[in-house]
Amino acid sequence: MADRYMIEPDLNFIKELNGMGADTLKKCYQCATCSVACPISPDDRPFPRKEMIAASWGLKEKLIKSCDIWLCHNCGDCTTMCPRGAKPGDTLAALRNYAIMDYGKPRALAEAVNDPKKLPILLLIPAVIFVIVGLITGLLDFTPEGSEIVHSHFFSSWLVDLIMVPASIWTVVIFAIGIKGFMKDIHENAVAEGKTQKEKLEIVPFLKSIVNVIPKILMHSKFSECGENEERATSHMMVLFGFIGLFIVTSIFFVTMYGFGIHGPYSQLNPVKWLANIAGVALVIGSALMIKNRFAKQPDQNTTYKDWSLIGLALALGLTGMLTEMTRLGGAAGLSYTIYFIHLMFVFALFVYLPYSKLAHLVYRTLAIAYADYSGRKF
Amino acid sequence: MTESTQALGNGTILVVGGGISGLTTALEAAEVGYEVFIVEKNPYLGGRVAQLNQYFPKLCPPTCGLEINFKRIKNNPRIHFFTLAEVEKVSGSPGSYDVTVRLNPRYVNENCTCCDECAKACKMEITDEFNLGMNRQKGAYLPHEMSFPSRYVISPQIIGTEDAQRCKDVCKYGAVDLDMETRSMNLNVGAIVWSTGWVPYDAGRIDNLGFGRYPNIVTNMMMERMAAPNGPTEGKVLRPSDDKAPESVAFVQCAGSRDENHLPYCSYICCMASLKQATYVRERYPDAKIYIFYIDLRAPGQKYEQFYQRIKEDENVFFIKGKVAEVSEDPDSKGITVTAENAMTGEKIHQTVDMVVLATGMQPSAATAKLPADLTYNADGFIVNDFKKGGMFGAGCANRPADVMSSNQNATGMALKAIQTLVKR
Repeated sequence: MADRYMIEPDLNFIKELNGMGADTLKKCYQCATCSVACPISPDDRPFPRKEMIAASWGLKEKLIKSCDIWLCHNCGDCTTMCPRGAKPGDTLAALRNYAIMDYGKPRALAEAVNDPKKLPILLLIPAVIFVIVGLITGLLDFTPEGSEIVHSHFFSSWLVDLIMVPASIWTVVIFAIGIKGFMKDIHENAVAEGKTQKEKLEIVPFLKSIVNVIPKILMHSKFSECGENEERATSHMMVLFGFIGLFIVTSIFFVTMYGFGIHGPYSQLNPVKWLANIAGVALVIGSALMIKNRFAKQPDQNTTYKDWSLIGLALALGLTGMLTEMTRLGGAAGLSYTIYFIHLMFVFALFVYLPYSKLAHLVYRTLAIAYADYSGRKF
Repeated sequence: MTESTQALGNGTILVVGGGISGLTTALEAAEVGYEVFIVEKNPYLGGRVAQLNQYFPKLCPPTCGLEINFKRIKNNPRIHFFTLAEVEKVSGSPGSYDVTVRLNPRYVNENCTCCDECAKACKMEITDEFNLGMNRQKGAYLPHEMSFPSRYVISPQIIGTEDAQRCKDVCKYGAVDLDMETRSMNLNVGAIVWSTGWVPYDAGRIDNLGFGRYPNIVTNMMMERMAAPNGPTEGKVLRPSDDKAPESVAFVQCAGSRDENHLPYCSYICCMASLKQATYVRERYPDAKIYIFYIDLRAPGQKYEQFYQRIKEDENVFFIKGKVAEVSEDPDSKGITVTAENAMTGEKIHQTVDMVVLATGMQPSAATAKLPADLTYNADGFIVNDFKKGGMFGAGCANRPADVMSSNQNATGMALKAIQTLVKR
């Protein structure tokens, strides 16, 4: 700490953080209560006190390249104990949002995803793409045959996948670019700040660390250590497992359709359908609980557009998905096709906007936790 | 001195609270010729200062200042004081206030010679409030050695018991009067100075600092009483769980201060108090280690700064910039581990010590019980002085958190303000 260096405050960065929910940041007077209040902060260079002063000084590089901001699970223990109402929890949330935008290229799209005014356009894009691609390819059939409601008769699976597969590839590519920069940055930052003894970032041991931490992440073991978090861990787990369940279902569906030529809809007796239903319900209940918790925590915790848009999307995906199924079983063809269309738009939004939305924490936090494991940061 | 038992007719200046500020206001006004009444709630004058072991930065005992003041009061016929007295009602306006004062019975009259026979005869023990509840005392007691007036008190808790009768029977001087009753008296005064002082912030409310949960966590005022020769341990600093001489003591600064969840303001004196208390431990135990955990150390002014520098030179005193936010007790050794992040090194420290002192702040007495007069308070309960309106003024720690020196300066100023109110009339 005795090193001297000239700091270069990025005033714009401070302003932007302010706008992203860290509006109480400057109230901090560095008492360090937060670092002790945090149940998961390590003994060596604990957070979030150091993040608070760095943010206050506008040290953008030091912050968004730090793996520590991702180790925080935003439980709010620090905010509750803060003697000044500086809400360190909100500052760390804002820093993570900032980092997501910074690693999500192109920047313009990242900004659009985080701008509520752009939401209608962003949702309109998939609709337009669908209709245009559908009309060009002739895969959009406005007069589906048969008395049974089969969504793929209306929206051909070819059409859906013609759009969704490239959308998924897009997501993977964008993430790959983001991850490359992210890993390089957090390692350099850890070396520079003496948070690790490892000089080089070795791929194989790091991958082992990922394997190490995934069960812990799934079990929410760190999440549950956070004092104010018990309810949140449950709802978060429901949403996460909901998404995982639906991802598995979609993958099975995809493989069986293209591999074995078996088409949906599956019978309600099919175990895959059970999983789909359970996962869908978990997603709806989990995201509804999150909304309830967010309201209950106000005004102690800032909830920004980024928070609402993600929870909203999760709820919308779950609801439209479940309603599509229910209207199909209920025989309301027009309604079912409409809801399914909306559902598809949300799925597109989930894929394409994922690297820029708060949901990107799925990737970055996992990597950061794995990095902490790899680098020997006791956390 | 006139120790009053009844009100005199002409209203002059009323001083509510006979602590160091009240005494100063009363003396300053009386010594330039004004009639002054002091109304004190406790059975003795001297207030919080009487509870201290030493003043900072000179480290002289409070008897120094108090003795001189008591002598000045004794020699001044214009000062009339009432102990065990409380103001109940104030009406009127600057220049003429009608004040109702309740006089609680002491059950001991001026014949008392402090022979201690009543205390010996009394069997029942009650909590010693003067020592902040650290010990128990007899139901008939002298509040402390230096009590002024030097007279015993029979606690209302033993009134009606055989103990009270035993006290009366044993007194050779007819000083015990069990028939005393609460009386009410009216005063007419031209100005009122409220020097109602402060109470230590209730450390039990600071959940994460373990006071009340672990015996070896004490407050700074408890430390004063322990270090005072007339305190519960007769001046020995011992840890409460086993009366062991502490080998290490941690001071937790800003315990419940500068904290929106407790007292949002700085109490001004706690840093100096802890630095001073470090000397109490160090002079008693040459090998003891002291750890002072702070957010910012505030030693305002040249003399205090010098005092701080002197303590800093002691290599057994360690300063850690970081507020203690967590404490735990080792169930076997009863040692306390305090946890803080050292903001200078960026490392969490888990320091185990024999004893912890919480540097709690001052809360104005009026914060918990509003005064029976038309006064303006700030959000924290300190009296806001309205000099335009005049007539009534808050002095000393009723007005703002302060050390003895600035309380006295402030109290002198308020004596002048009170006099101006009278002269304007």
